[in-house]
Parts: sequence; structure tokens; C-alpha cells
Amino acid sequence: MLSTFLSHQWKDFWRSRNKAGSIVANIFLGFFMLYFLVLAIGLGFGMSFIIEKFLPGQDVIQVFNSYILYYFLFDLAMRLQMQELPTLSIIPYLHLNIKKNTIVNFLNVKSIFTFFNLLPLFIFIPFSIVKIGATYGALTGLMYVVAILSLTLFNNYLVLYLKRKSINNVAYFGIIIGFVGVFALLDYYQIISIRNISDQVFQSVAKYPFIALAFTLAAVLIFVINSSFLRANLYTEELSSKDDKKVSTDYAFLNSFGRVGELAALELKLILRHKRSRSSLVMGFVFLAYGFFFYRGPLIDNDSFGSLLFAAVFMTGISIITYGQFMFAWQSSHFDGLLSSKIDFTNFIKAKFLLFTISCTIITILSSFYGFLSYKLLLLHLAAYLYNIGFATVIVLYFATLNYKRLDITKSASFNWQGVGATQWILGFPLLLIPFVIYLPFSFADKPYWGLLALGTFGLITLLMRNFWVKLIVKRFEQQRYKIAEGFRE
Amino acid sequence: MLQFKELKKSYAGRTVVNIENLTIAAGETIGLVGNNGAGKTTMFRMLLDLIRPDSGEILSKEANVATNSDWKNYTASYLDEGFLIDYLTPEEYFIFIGGLHNLSVADVNEYLKQYEEFFNGEILNRGKYIRDFSKGNQNKVGIAAALMQKPELLVLDEPFANLDPTTQIRLKSHIKALKFTHKLTTLISSHDLNHVTDVCDRIILLEKGIIIKDFYTDENSLKELEAYFAE
Repeated sequence: MLSTFLSHQWKDFWRSRNKAGSIVANIFLGFFMLYFLVLAIGLGFGMSFIIEKFLPGQDVIQVFNSYILYYFLFDLAMRLQMQELPTLSIIPYLHLNIKKNTIVNFLNVKSIFTFFNLLPLFIFIPFSIVKIGATYGALTGLMYVVAILSLTLFNNYLVLYLKRKSINNVAYFGIIIGFVGVFALLDYYQIISIRNISDQVFQSVAKYPFIALAFTLAAVLIFVINSSFLRANLYTEELSSKDDKKVSTDYAFLNSFGRVGELAALELKLILRHKRSRSSLVMGFVFLAYGFFFYRGPLIDNDSFGSLLFAAVFMTGISIITYGQFMFAWQSSHFDGLLSSKIDFTNFIKAKFLLFTISCTIITILSSFYGFLSYKLLLLHLAAYLYNIGFATVIVLYFATLNYKRLDITKSASFNWQGVGATQWILGFPLLLIPFVIYLPFSFADKPYWGLLALGTFGLITLLMRNFWVKLIVKRFEQQRYKIAEGFRE
Repeated sequence: MLQFKELKKSYAGRTVVNIENLTIAAGETIGLVGNNGAGKTTMFRMLLDLIRPDSGEILSKEANVATNSDWKNYTASYLDEGFLIDYLTPEEYFIFIGGLHNLSVADVNEYLKQYEEFFNGEILNRGKYIRDFSKGNQNKVGIAAALMQKPELLVLDEPFANLDPTTQIRLKSHIKALKFTHKLTTLISSHDLNHVTDVCDRIILLEKGIIIKDFYTDENSLKELEAYFAE
């Protein structure tokens, strides 16, 4: 039975992928996965070398030990955000003559096949065998492997259990986020050291290898809890969505924009009431941290804005990029309704501009905390902001008229390639390259501030030309609407 | 009111709509019948300017629907759930649609009162988004929203499908009444021959995109249609 289920899943995976995503998207997804796997394997086998290179003089095994629990804590946070509940796939089987236990087993087995379970194995197991096994003997090496496997499965089932619980009670979600957060903070302020704890735990494993079985016990325990919970609650209604009262809302501040505001409010509701669009919103806030990787002291001191420009444009324009890349397809399920009702296309396009301008402004204001690093970053952000609301919006909406791919926004966003077509790949180039093209000549002439001024002015001029752009895009939209509507109908 | 001229549409070499000339007068209630693939929905989509015809044109009040969007002012339609904005509550949806036709929130609420019976207490104030309703109730929302626009031209695709018997009967008498009070022109497609012959005063029978019968209903219409479909 289990093998029949799995073969169905296998078919489901391949047949839906090939139907929904284009070949390009599949290849890219493949490369992306492969990249991470190669990275993990490289990390796994090169672990001793890497540790010696970056932390010279320290005991390699001690460093390795200290990062194991650290990784799994991070892993827990990642999974909470991204791992999917394998629930909906069982609906067609529930009414058939199949034992509940078989279905629960199937769900448990299916959940093992996730990318998150593969990654830690590649990272930790090579070192456990090659180095730990060689130093402490085969038994210890084996027990390390057992510990890693157990921790992986423990995280796997813990996250599934908590996610299932949190469907009906959000508090569970809060507790686990709080748990990880508190540990991260305690570690950051060096009140407790997860690295020390991890090191001590695995030193004990090295001394008394069978202690590793404690992890196995924990994994089995959570597995049993999860299974019994599933068995008692095998109703898709309860496992997949929460049944609370929905209320009508009204965004008063948008009403002052009249018809355009009404349409923008409609779209705001769309964003807030769907999983996929909500997560692209969350991404916007996450990417606010992007600057910490890019804004290096020397670069700022030397006014090398060219190296900072990408991060600035990306951060302040994140909402335009993540939401805009799928533009119009967000509304694909009711696109026919929009076209045939009494909506002026000019207002329709203006509403998109309005929404972009508002979101971009909010993100830019939030990003101004980088001003504490240097006032120069504020100038940079201002130029990037003007460019984004002035011209990036135009590029995104122009490309939107070329996007015919239907999007199912009720699905979650992570590793979801549905609705991705050629448009999304091409879109990024002009959007992120144009600022460089404008800035670079001034940079070569050693006038970086003039470069920023030029970019800002360009943004401002294009912003003032907005009515022209609206007309242009409405014209495109009118030509393309049949094609778009047809694509959205599938 | 409506004029279809030399209208053609084909997909992958197969003709799905081929109407040489069809005129519909104001105030007529038209029933469009035909088996699956007869081209009913495609014809409606072209009427609503959602599909571009390969050739020919549709004139609504003498204006081509593809080049002039004045028809939107007096046309209301509900073809399928794709016309509903399904992440809104029904109240929000009615207010949005009403707003497009300059109805205030109070107007919309006032209007909805007369539909309390039609909704049977299942639509309003249920605390659900439209996507969470059953298909029949979604249909009710779509039809009520279409009627709320006080249209001169009403286009409904299979309005009786998925509705419960009580609502079917109510909808029929409502459409019949509107014809007299508002001089409403209605286009309905349906597989239910009883309903169509009951409601409509003119029946158009399509087969593979071609009009093969076009007649005004009398007491023999139902038998005539049944005879055709039984073949």
C-alpha cells in the first residue's frame, strides 16, 4: 500500500511540475538544489580543511562539535518558515477502504522526503565518518551518524507536529519562535553558549558513544506523539485550514484616492488574505537586513556607491520586485470578472502604481536606520527610492503585460515555481542594471555624488512623467488583455 | 440591442463559433441551448470582450464591444466563479461592485434586503470569504451582484446549475419579472430544457458553433427541443 502511495506521489510530482512550470524554471530549480547539495557535500568533506583555514589553531573536532546543535537550532527556524505540511495529498484516499494507520504512516514517510532532511546529512556525516571515526574509533563514528540522523528526524517531526498544532492555535507557533529567539539572544549576549553546550554534549558522546541513543529516543518520542495526534485528527478540514470568522474591512486612508484607491484597497486585501502574497510581503522585511552584508565600512568611506547600489535598489524596491514580477497573475483567478466589470483600465493601472509607491515609501522609511552607519547611505537610498518609484514601477508593469502564466496564490511561496515564466527571469536585468548604467559614467569621472544626483534626477523626471507611462501601459494592456485573460484561464 | 455579424472563432483549426447574422432586440429573453462544445460560453466571452473573435464583430447598441467599452455601463454578467473576487466576503464584494456603479454602501445594503429570501440566510453575515462557500452559494453571490448593477443587458451562463430547487424557481420568476419592470434583455445558456423554455421567449440552438434553430417559444417548444436532443 505504502509503495502505491509513494508511486502516486512520484507521478504527482513529475506530472504537475512539467505541466505547471516551464522547462527553464525546472532547470533552474534543479541547479539551485544541486548547488546547495554540492555546497553541503563540499562542506562535509572539506570540513577539517575549512575549520583549520578559518579558525587556525583551534581543535578541529571541538569546533565541529560546537556547531552541531547550533546548526539544528537554525534548521528548526528554517523549517518552521519553509517546510510544508504533507496533508492535502491524502484527501483522495480518506473515503476508500484503507486503514487510518496506513494513511498516517504514509504521511510520516512522505514527510521524510524533503530537502531539509538531506542537507544536514551531507554536511555532518562525511566528517563524522572520516575524522571522528578515525580519531575515536568506528563505534563512536557510527554513533555520531546515529545522533545526526536522529536530530534530523527529531526536527522533522517536531516541526510537523507544531505546525499541525498551530493550525488551530497560533500560540504554538509563537512558543517555538520564542524558544528559538530566546536561545539566539542568550547566545548572542553570551549568557549561555550553545556552542559550549553542543561541544560538551558531543564530547560525552565521544566518551560514552551510547549516549547518542538519547537523541534517537527523543526522535522516536516525537514521532509517536505526532503519529497519535494525526491518527486522532485525520480530518483534512482540521489539518489544513483554520475556521475562524472572517470580517469585512475597510482601508479608510485609501478612500481619499477615489476609484483608484478602491482598486488599491482591493489588491491590499488580496495581498493580506493569501499565503503566497503574504510571504512575499514578509520577504520584503527580511531583505531589510540585506544592507548588513553589502554596506562595508571601507566602501562607504571611499564613496564607492557603485558596489552599494545593487543592495540599495534591491532593498528599497523589494516590494516592486517580489510582488511586481507576478503582476496581473495575482488576480488570475478573477481576471475575467475584472475585465468585464465596469473598471476603467487607466484606474486599474494607476492603482498598481499607487500600491507600489506606498509600499516602496514605507520600506524606504524603514530602511533609513542605515543612516546610523553613515548619512551617505540615506542619500543613496533616496536616489534608489526615486528610481524605484519613478522607473522600476514602469518596467515591472510593462513586463506584466507579457505575463500570461496563471498563478495559484492560495499555495505557499517557498519552492513554489508555479506561475514562473520567462518574464520573471528577464525582468530583473533592466530593473537592476539601469541604475548602474546611469551611475557608472560619473563614477569613472570620480564624481560619485553627481552619480547619485543623476540617478535621483532620472527617477524624479520619470516620476513626473507618470501620466505618460500610465497611458503607455494602458495601451499595451488593451492590446494584450485577450492573451493575458486566455493564459490565466489556462 | 445586439447584433452579431460574421462572427467566427476557431481553436486549433476547429471552428467553435460561426454566426453569420444574429440580431437581438431590446427586452428579449434569449435561451441559448446546445450540447457541450456548441460554443455557448465562447460566444458569451466574445460578447463580453474577453476573447478576440477571429473575424466579424459584435455590436451592442450599435457600438463594437471590442473597440468601445460603453457596453460595460449597462451590461452585467456572471459566467463562472472566475468572475468572483473570491478572497472578499460577500458583503465586501457587493460593496465593491456597487461602488463601480456609483452605489453607496447604504444603497447596496438597501438593495440586498430584497434578496434576503433569495439568499435564504446563507450568504450575508456568515463570516466567510467567497472562496469558502459552496458552488451553489457562490453562484447566488455572482447572480445577485450582476442583478444589482441594474443592467439593460444581462448575461448568465448556466445560472440554474448548482442551485437548489427553491432558488431555481425564485430566480426564474425574478428574471421573468425584470423583463417587464426594467425592459431587461437577457441571455441565458442552460442545459435544462424545462427552465429555458419556461423563462425565455426566444430559443437559439447551437451545434458546433452554428445556429441551427432560432425560434420564439410556444407550448410545443419543449417537445421540439427534446426531440432534437434525443436524436
